[in-house]
Amino acid sequence: MKLDIQNVSKKYNSNKYGLKEYTLNIENGILGLLGPNGAGKSTLLKMIATISKPSNGSILLNKNNVVKDPNYMRKQLGYLPQDFGVYPNLNAYEFLEYMAALKGIGGTQLKQRIAFLLEGLNLTEVAKKPIGNYSGGMKQRIGIAQALLNHPKILLFDEPTVGLDPEERVRFRNLISELANDCIVILSSHIVSDIDTIADQVAIMKEGQLLCQGNQKTIIDTVKNKVFEMTMNKEDVPNFINHHITLNTIRKKEAVTVRYISEAHIESAIPCKATLEDAYLYTTKK
Amino acid sequence: MKNFITIIKSDYLQRTRSYAFLITLCISLAVAYSFIPAPGASYSTIRIGDYLGFYNSSWIGYVTALMTSIFLSLVGFYLVNGTIKNDISSKIGQIIATTRVSNFGYLISKTISNFLLLCTIAFIVFIMSIILFFLYNDGFSFEILQFIIPYSVIAIPSLFFISVLAVLFEVFLGQKSILQNILFFFLFSIMALYKPGDTSKNFYLDAFGTKIITFQMEETVRNIVGHKDLGGINIGFVLGNVSEANYFVFDGVDFPIGYILSRLGWIIFGILLLGLASLFFHRFRVKERFQLKNKKTLLKTKNDNDIDISKLPKVSLSFKILPLIKTEFILLIRSGHKWLWILNIAGMLALCFAPLSIAHQMILPIVWFLQVGRWSSLVTKERIFSTHFFTFASYQPLKRLLLSQVLSGILLALLLALPLVLRYMIQLDFMHVISIILGGFFIVSLAVLTGILTKGKKLFEILFFMITYANINAVPFTDYFGGLHHQYSYLISTAILVILSLTISYSIRNIELKRI
Repeated sequence: MKLDIQNVSKKYNSNKYGLKEYTLNIENGILGLLGPNGAGKSTLLKMIATISKPSNGSILLNKNNVVKDPNYMRKQLGYLPQDFGVYPNLNAYEFLEYMAALKGIGGTQLKQRIAFLLEGLNLTEVAKKPIGNYSGGMKQRIGIAQALLNHPKILLFDEPTVGLDPEERVRFRNLISELANDCIVILSSHIVSDIDTIADQVAIMKEGQLLCQGNQKTIIDTVKNKVFEMTMNKEDVPNFINHHITLNTIRKKEAVTVRYISEAHIESAIPCKATLEDAYLYTTKK
Repeated sequence: MKNFITIIKSDYLQRTRSYAFLITLCISLAVAYSFIPAPGASYSTIRIGDYLGFYNSSWIGYVTALMTSIFLSLVGFYLVNGTIKNDISSKIGQIIATTRVSNFGYLISKTISNFLLLCTIAFIVFIMSIILFFLYNDGFSFEILQFIIPYSVIAIPSLFFISVLAVLFEVFLGQKSILQNILFFFLFSIMALYKPGDTSKNFYLDAFGTKIITFQMEETVRNIVGHKDLGGINIGFVLGNVSEANYFVFDGVDFPIGYILSRLGWIIFGILLLGLASLFFHRFRVKERFQLKNKKTLLKTKNDNDIDISKLPKVSLSFKILPLIKTEFILLIRSGHKWLWILNIAGMLALCFAPLSIAHQMILPIVWFLQVGRWSSLVTKERIFSTHFFTFASYQPLKRLLLSQVLSGILLALLLALPLVLRYMIQLDFMHVISIILGGFFIVSLAVLTGILTKGKKLFEILFFMITYANINAVPFTDYFGGLHHQYSYLISTAILVILSLTISYSIRNIELKRI
C-alpha cells in the first residue's frame, strides 16, 4: 500500500487556506500527525477519506487518483472522524450492520465479524441496548469498531483517544500497532503521548503546512542538546519566557522550574534528554 | 438591559441566518401575493355573501393584515416553536442555566426573538400588500395609514401572543413536539372559531383581533343589501363565482379605544403567562432522553484481552441495498414517541372501517401527517446526528443511500395506507389505488426535496401542515393523494411532480457530494 499526497491545498477563500501545498508519502505503518488546533490535521484526513475535495493537488492510493475515483479509496478505507455521531435508536449491532451495508460489505461471516469486534472492544454486554444510552468512551469504541468492519487497508483515526480512559487508551494503542502490520494507519492528535509510543513516522503540521516529517529519532534530533531546565524565582519567569522558547513550567512554592530550548547553555541550567514533545513544541513555536 | 438585548439579537440572528429562513421568506412573498387575488383570478380570500371589496387602500391593507393575523399565527407557531429545544440539544442551555439570566428574562427573550422572526415575515407581507395596491388598485388613492393601522392593531398583538404560546408550549410540554403541534392546532381552531355573542362589543376576547373587521365588512354590505341574511362571510382561499360577485367600497374600521386597549391586554396577558410559566421552567435540568438509566449498562473495562485482528472473520463485498432499506425503515419506525404508534394503529383501523370517502379524504391525510417528524428527518438525520462523515464516505452514497431512504419513506407511507388500498382493490377501483400510491411517493419526494434543499426539517413540516390543513378543508389544489374527484391527467401531473422532485433532489445531493 502506498499513499501519495501531492501538493494538496484546501482553499476556503482568497486568502484562507485549510491546507497549503501539502506533500506527503506514506507506506505501511503508522504515521502520527501532530499539530495544534487549526493546523489542518482533520482537513487532511477528510480529504484522504474522500469526504472533502482538495482545491488543488492530488491524492494517490497505489497510483489511483482517489479525488477522481473516491470509491477506490472507500472500498478499503476505515475512518474514525473527530466529531462523529450515532443514531441513538439503533443498538450497537444494528448500527454496525448499517455501517457494513454503507461500506458495501456483507457475506455469511459479517455477523461473526461484528460479534468479534464487539467482543474485542468490550461492547458485547451492551450490544443490544440503544447507542443513545452509551457513554462517550463507548461511542468512541463503536466508532473504532465501524472503522475495522471492512478489513481496511488504510485507516484514518482523527483524535481517536478522546473519551477513552487510560486503560482503554493503552488497549487502543496495542490495537493500532497490530493493525499497522499490513496497512497504512494515520493517527492525528495534539496529544504527543498518543503518538510517541506507536508511530513509525511523525508529521508535524501548523497553519495548514507540513513543518517536518520523519521518524521519531530524526525529529527529536532537531532539539538534541538544546533542552534545559532551570529553577528561578517566580518574579523572573515572565521575563525569561519572553526571551526563550519555553516548553514547560513547574511551580514549587516560590520557585519555578522552567524547561526550555536554547542554542546557548546558561551556566545554572541543567541539560535534559530531548523528547518528541520537546521537538513538537519547538517546531510549532519557533 | 444591554445583555438582554444581546441575547435577543443573537438568538434572532442565529435563526435568520439560514438558508431555510430565506426560503421561508420567499414562500411568504408568494403567499402574500396570493392574499389579494389578481383581477380575473378564480378565487377570493375574503367574501361577504356575493360581495367582494374594491381594491382600495383599506381593503388591501385590512385584508392582508387579517390574513396575516390568522394564517401567520397558524403557520408561525410551527415556524418558531422549538427554540428552547434547540438550546437543549446544542447544550447552550446548560451554559445559560449557569448565568445570571432569570427564568422570566430567558423566556421573554425567547418570546421577543420569536416575535421579531414573525414580524420579519409580516413586514414582507406588508411591503407586498403595498406593491399589490399599486399593481391592482381600482383607481383609488394610496393611503399609507390604511396599511399601517390594521397591521399595528391586529397583526402585531396576534403575533406576539403566538410567540408567547410557542414558548409556553415548550415550557409545559417539553420535548413532546408532536403533542405540542396537535394541541396548538386545537387551541388555534377554538380561537379562530370564537364568535363574540354581541359582535359589536365583545371583541376583546378575540385573540386574533379580526372579528371587528369582518363585522364591519358585513355591516357595510348589510347597509347596501338592506337585509340581515348575507349568506355568511368566507375567509380563506375560496374558489369560484368571482365573476358573478358584486363589489362594495370598504373604508376601514374606526377602532374603539376599548378594542385597542384589549389588543394591548392580549400582550400584557401573554407577558403574565410567561411570568407564570417562569415558575415552572425547568432551567435545563431536563433528563436527557437517552441518558443512562441503568448503571448496569455501564461497560466493565477490566478486560485485559486485546483484540486479535488476525482472528477477525473475513467479509466479502456486497452492494445490496436491502440492508440499508431495512435499517432506514427501522430508524423511521423507532423515531418519535411510542404512543404515536397507538394513534397510527387507531388511524389504520379507522381506514379499515370508516366510510370510504371519509377514510380517504380525512383520515388518510391525518395518518400520514402524524409521520411528519419521521419523513422530515429522512434525509436530514445525517446532519442532525453528525453521521454524515460515515455516510458521505460510504460506497456510492448517492445511488445506494439516497435510494434506500426514499424507498423506506415510501414503504412507511404505503404500509399506513394499506387498509385503504386493500378496500379499493377489493372494489377493483384501481384509479384510487394508484392515486394513494402516487400520494405516498409525492409526500416522501417533497420531504426529500425540502430536506436536501434546506438541510433542515422545518420547511417540510410547515408545508406538510399547510397541505394537510388544506386537504381537510377539501382544497382540490393540494389533494396529492386523490381524495377528491379528478381526471386521469391529475395522476400524470402528480407523477411528473414526483419525478421532478426526485430528479432535483438527486442532482442537488450529487452537487453537494462533489463540493464537500
